Amino acid sequence: MNFLAPAAFALSLLLPLIVALYLLKLRRTEREVSSTYLWRKMVRDMEANAPWQRLRRNLLLILQLLFLLVLIFALARPFTLVQGVGGEALILILDTSASMSATDVAPNRLEAAKQRARQLVDDMLDDARITVISAGTEAQVRVASTQDRRQAHLAIESIQPEMGGSELGVALELASAIAARQPDTEIVVLSDGRVTLPERLALKGRLTYLPVGIDGQNQAISQLTLEKAPGSGALTAFAQIANYGAQPAQNRLLLYANGALLNAYDLELPARGQQAVVVEDLPPDTVQIEARLAEEDMLPLDNQAVAVLTGGSGSISVALVSPGNRFLETAISLFPGAELTRVDTRVLAEEQAENDAASGPLIPEADLTIFDGYVPGEDELPDGNLLFIAPVSSTEMFTTTGTIETPVLNAANVDDPLLSHVSLTGINVLDAVSIPLPDWARPVIMGESAEGSSPLLFVGEVDGRRVAVLAFDLRRSDLPLNMAFPLLWANLFQWLVPGSSGGIPQQVNPGETISFLPPVEGEAVTVTRPDGSVVRLNMDAGRLVFADTTELGVYRVSWGESGSAAFVVNLFSNQESLIEPAASLPGPAAEGSGEGTQDQLARREWWRPFALLSLAVLTGEWFVYQRAALVRLRDDASRFLERFRR
Amino acid sequence: MAERLFTEEFIHRLERLALVTRRAAAGPLQGERRSSQRGQSVEFADYRPYVPGDDFRRIDWSAYARLERFFIKLFVEEQDLLVHFLIDTSASMNWGQPNKLWYAVRSAGALGYVALAGLDRVTITALGALPDASGKSANGSGRYFPPHRGKNQALALFSFLQNLAGQNNGENGRGRSFDPARALRSYAAAASQPGPLMLLSDLMDDGWLDGLRALASRGFEVTLVHILAPEEVRPDLQGDLKLIDVESGAEVEITADYELLERYRQNLQAWQEELRRFCSARGMHYVPLDTSLPIEELLFAWLRQKGVLK
Repeated sequence: MNFLAPAAFALSLLLPLIVALYLLKLRRTEREVSSTYLWRKMVRDMEANAPWQRLRRNLLLILQLLFLLVLIFALARPFTLVQGVGGEALILILDTSASMSATDVAPNRLEAAKQRARQLVDDMLDDARITVISAGTEAQVRVASTQDRRQAHLAIESIQPEMGGSELGVALELASAIAARQPDTEIVVLSDGRVTLPERLALKGRLTYLPVGIDGQNQAISQLTLEKAPGSGALTAFAQIANYGAQPAQNRLLLYANGALLNAYDLELPARGQQAVVVEDLPPDTVQIEARLAEEDMLPLDNQAVAVLTGGSGSISVALVSPGNRFLETAISLFPGAELTRVDTRVLAEEQAENDAASGPLIPEADLTIFDGYVPGEDELPDGNLLFIAPVSSTEMFTTTGTIETPVLNAANVDDPLLSHVSLTGINVLDAVSIPLPDWARPVIMGESAEGSSPLLFVGEVDGRRVAVLAFDLRRSDLPLNMAFPLLWANLFQWLVPGSSGGIPQQVNPGETISFLPPVEGEAVTVTRPDGSVVRLNMDAGRLVFADTTELGVYRVSWGESGSAAFVVNLFSNQESLIEPAASLPGPAAEGSGEGTQDQLARREWWRPFALLSLAVLTGEWFVYQRAALVRLRDDASRFLERFRR
Repeated sequence: MAERLFTEEFIHRLERLALVTRRAAAGPLQGERRSSQRGQSVEFADYRPYVPGDDFRRIDWSAYARLERFFIKLFVEEQDLLVHFLIDTSASMNWGQPNKLWYAVRSAGALGYVALAGLDRVTITALGALPDASGKSANGSGRYFPPHRGKNQALALFSFLQNLAGQNNGENGRGRSFDPARALRSYAAAASQPGPLMLLSDLMDDGWLDGLRALASRGFEVTLVHILAPEEVRPDLQGDLKLIDVESGAEVEITADYELLERYRQNLQAWQEELRRFCSARGMHYVPLDTSLPIEELLFAWLRQKGVLK
């Protein structure tokens, strides 16, 4: 045991003072009595047990000395060293992502993390500043730099599990900002480590990662779709089941159509492998399918998924301005309800020459207009969404700066929904137009070449319409011959023509905010959540925004008299389903952490029990001092009661 | 202490009381009490054979007619009593609220008046450290009240007592030693006619019991009125004190806390119990009281209950 304030022991100089005062006090008052006869008799009795008598007479002195000793001890702030986190300030970051709901540690990982957090808070110095941040789909500061333990505990208690991912990067930036203001700060991350962190993260304070979780056994439904075949209108369901565990697993997939059990499939899942199930003979009236895994595992959230048939039965008009592109025409024709209008660029040029001052737009109005190797003049851009393929010149939206030779394709962001299930390896491009990334766009595919890096596919929204630019000619690459092409095309087409319901997505990740155009102008739009609650949507900059997607299941959107659509929230996330705890945080953040945590020592203070004890001694001393008066009081009271009873 | 001992009304009430004597006693004057001696009265007591020298006027002639023998007819002789009062006037008695000596004087006055009203003789002796305290040697000095008889002597009795209380109002007697055993023994030896004896004292000294034994063996019918002040029964003391004896000046150092006072109370009770046992073993009355007890209650309830008065 050590002391934080050993100077307090100087107060023990007061001990002799008490003794001195006590000796001074013993000068007796003189009092006359009729006779000391009785007292003499008694004192003679008392001398028989004199030592005890003397001790008892000094009981007050002993109690006073004891009180002072205990008080001095408390003031010296004794502490012991315990395992924990030192430092004068603590920032706790609790991961609240879906994977933290895993039950490999009872009752679940988040509760275990909260327990550990409470313990860390208790082990901190009494005047330590404590910050609690929860990192769910958004990072949230629950309590900032408080010295009040109770407040910190309440903040930890208020943290609830979420269904989405983990914004640990943002949480770390918040923590770093707070740590910059207070010295000697420990940042403790309680997580399973399955997070993405930004490349560069300049952290203030010492980072400590405490992994939560012990097991990674988990199977998940990683994909579920329900689609109508373009030609026949036959329904096809596609489910993909992944095993994230290190052991092979057996499981059973139960498939429900419109709520009734349709079929069950026994699955043999290799370690870290996956298996797909395709169901083609669905009843024709199926609008919703649900898939469930029969076997329980560590993370129940991803053991079920639901898919709805897109409501968009109306046709989509697509205008293709091209010198003729068989790949594109075939690809477009595969989409149900797509009505293709071809505009030959050579014809277009002739007509332009003839009409000169055009009497009307030569390019027809369409939901999606594709310019393949052609760029219209100014003011000739049609309404609707646009796709530029290998633009030959600059437009008001972007600028071409030349060509790059044989770029190597890279994903700008592996998790981009446009690239889901798309593999870019083995695709060769002969040459591409070099276009600097405009500020409205986000890159999807980057091309690396000797000349440098240039976006090959970028998308974005300009003036309320969606625009995508593919920088290379399909005929000058082997992409159309690759497996990636139909998948990429499907994703891109889905994004460019989001269906008739104003761009309501089909599949949404938990916690994701969706926004879409109002299907019918001026009509109120409501969303019915899976638990039955109804939310009325408000317009925000011409779009409807819905952010309350925390619950898994089917969300029904309805407007007007009968307009309706639906989207589903499923936990299709590799990051969250891969629940095996990481030994260290990914990225450079973990490197800057410095010292390891497990064997770090923290100081636990003990002054509280001593302060309480001193109070108890003081109370006891008072009772001893006043006991004659107390007994008299009691006798008086009982006498009074006696009289009262009579 | 210029105040009067009693009110008129109180004295009238006293006339209804009478002293009780358990044993018949003998005295020289004819009184209203039955005596152990046979004598001239109307109440027949016994026969005894005639011996020469007897008064032949008391021969029962009808018995002689029947039995042809002389018998003397005996009658109960009624006699008076000499009631003794001993008042402890040592300095420790002149203390307390109400004052113990004043209380003793008033009790003696009341009981004395009762005795006078019952045609008994009354004598009072003040015991204390003063030189003239020893019985008869101090005749007329104000410390000794010789035997008086009859209600008309009540005034003399009261003035003697009032004087006694006044004498002790000062500092006299303080610091002088007083041996109660010797005083009582000499009183017992000097007494010509033992009878009922009232000792009024706080007994705060050694030697009282020896003296009482001497009195009892001389044939006195002792009533011990043990007078304590309320401050002595329940001392109101707290803290570290040096107690000084007003009588001897002796000092005792105590730390008055709850335990000590509790022990004092127990000690006091044990002492009174010891006295009670001592008295009952010798046929004495023991009347413990503290001066907060009203004197009316003492006379009309307390002493009657104890069998001293009726």
